Amino acid sequence: LISDLFFHITFVFCFSFCLLPLACFAEDEVNLLVIVVDVNPIWWGQQAQREPEFTLSKCLDGVMVMGNSHMALTRTNKLAVIASHCQDSHFLYPSKSLRGGGGAAEDTSCSRDGKYELLAVANSAIAEEIQNVLSKSKGNSTDTLLAGSLAKALCCILTIYSVCHPELIPCLGQVIKAAEDCALQYMNFMNVIFAAQKQNILIDACVLDSDSGLLQQACDITGGLYLKIPQKLALAQYLLWVFLPDSEQRSQLVLPPPAHVDYRAACFCHRNLIEIGYVCSVCLSIFCNFSPICTTCETAFKIQLPQMVKPKKKKLKMPA
Amino acid sequence: MDDEPERTKRWEGGYERTWEVLKEDESGSLKATVEEILFQSKRRRVVESHGQVRLGMMRHLYVVVDCSRSMEDQDLKPNRLTATLKLLEGFVDEYFDQNPISQVGVITTKNKRAEKLTDLAGNPKKHITALKKAVDSACVGEPSLYNALNLAVQTLKHMPGHTSREVLIILSSLTTCDPANIYDLIKTLKGLKVRVSVIGLSAEVRVCTVLTRETGGSYHVILDESHFKELLMLHVKPPPASSSSECSLIRMGFPQHAIASVSERDARPSFSMSHLDSGTGPGLTLGGYFCPQCHAKYSELPVECKVCGLTLVSAPHLARSFHHLFPMLPFLESPVEQLQGSRFCEGCQGELRDKSAYVCPSCRGVFCVECDLFIHDSLHCCPCCIHSRAAL
Repeated sequence: LISDLFFHITFVFCFSFCLLPLACFAEDEVNLLVIVVDVNPIWWGQQAQREPEFTLSKCLDGVMVMGNSHMALTRTNKLAVIASHCQDSHFLYPSKSLRGGGGAAEDTSCSRDGKYELLAVANSAIAEEIQNVLSKSKGNSTDTLLAGSLAKALCCILTIYSVCHPELIPCLGQVIKAAEDCALQYMNFMNVIFAAQKQNILIDACVLDSDSGLLQQACDITGGLYLKIPQKLALAQYLLWVFLPDSEQRSQLVLPPPAHVDYRAACFCHRNLIEIGYVCSVCLSIFCNFSPICTTCETAFKIQLPQMVKPKKKKLKMPA
Repeated sequence: MDDEPERTKRWEGGYERTWEVLKEDESGSLKATVEEILFQSKRRRVVESHGQVRLGMMRHLYVVVDCSRSMEDQDLKPNRLTATLKLLEGFVDEYFDQNPISQVGVITTKNKRAEKLTDLAGNPKKHITALKKAVDSACVGEPSLYNALNLAVQTLKHMPGHTSREVLIILSSLTTCDPANIYDLIKTLKGLKVRVSVIGLSAEVRVCTVLTRETGGSYHVILDESHFKELLMLHVKPPPASSSSECSLIRMGFPQHAIASVSERDARPSFSMSHLDSGTGPGLTLGGYFCPQCHAKYSELPVECKVCGLTLVSAPHLARSFHHLFPMLPFLESPVEQLQGSRFCEGCQGELRDKSAYVCPSCRGVFCVECDLFIHDSLHCCPCCIHSRAAL
């Protein structure tokens, strides 16, 4: 199978996702693809021990293949790559050194094997920056900051689009899952998803290891694709075949079916998924059982008391 | 009757020398002033948040549209009615985006009568189709404020106490034809805790001033079409709840979305309950949302189950309203020269081009003006704060 030749990327806690641009093939249309890659060092270290043939460098190779393909499609396509870390998200491309001065860009622009210069610059920038990121990072948590990277990516997209063509609809797909969803993370994540949906930005998810409910919801709400890759080594193949086509072309292709998304809410007291619950009208927190006081906003609720029925007086019958 | 001091009117000298805003610099050009005005207009949209005020999340809003003869006036292009209906379509979309569990109804008034265009419902499509069809209706006669408000109140008074009852009137005529004393109706509205707001298209009318003041709503008169849109969008945000509104626990259902394909053996097509109302004929569909209490099928959420009366929503609908409950602090403006460090915006990684940048008060991250607008309008969370909070 072709999949044997490719490398898989699996993330126990993270998922790398790619943003796909909305395709409109007018001459001056700018399509922006933002790829967010999870580079949690702890997970990748464990992965290297589990499956030595699939490492972070192979994963980034696949990402670079996809980035190069996207930029090679049309002259006006643009690319951005973000590495999502446990402490921060860094823009791998376009990197700060490229923006800092024109002199630095000149040195990196000569490609040695005749490749299109833009692709060579992108590849070398990504490689250099990921080394910087990994050597400087000090975090030791297994979480990754999904919502933060998405938020930065959205700002980046909107700025680039407002500068070039304010009327274009950008499309962006990213999937990166954070390990534990605490309440704050969930709320930030949902805010980011709704902002993306309002701007017509697609979020696609390419999941390596375990399913992520948050990412499934993101893809469902924004209209993107969610795929859990069965074979990690074939990452580049999946990226190119499934995620590279834009949304207009996707309607013509036979793509993996949409995942079944569980939209049930989790109650605030036990974190169980419930089908029928009680919602506080003030703070919208969800409870599984009726209680007279809301624990989040501490409002006392009006309880409908049943009507009191007065007992009828019974006449005592005197024994005859 | 009214003891509140009213604003000074034009003939009393309230507006004086409005041309003094524009100032020329040494070379005689207005460029600096124009840039300043543009910059301020970008900033104006970031409104102060309410802070720790209880908001009315579940809203029942009636929009009353005046369809009288004055709506054929062409000061809004192509005429007032078409412009109003177009803006209302945008309003309905934005309203359901910010208040997903609320409901909206539309009432029109003309020929001294009022009639319901659409009933209170939580589905935006029905309202938008009705608004589109109403463009062709003729504008005749005079509006009747009393009849319109009466019609709205008849439905609103049956709504549960924890929801907010609102009416938004778009009035273009300077007269109203009422069959009874409107001040009595205003007292009734106040007693029923209905909040009435008015957007006037012509001029300020005294009865509207009294109406909005007594019921606690707002009254504005438009200057032009963009101002009209701004005023409409002010009503999208949930208003502060009145202190007397009740809070209760509402029983809601969270149905699962069943997607079944034809190839599955157990997939059975079934009728959706929402097709009972629409005249498009019975539609057999495979997937849908099943009410957890009575297993009636619906194709869209949020909806109130017709069989058992349970409100059906999905978790993202409630999550959409969370940003109202935890509003963001506005960012502090500071000139670019005073900033140490790199001159790059943390959000979009672009250079800071404007003369001032915005600093988040909690994480001291620097943002450009477009990112600041985006963060406060749509994103509702600071990208840098997310990182620093998680590291704690």
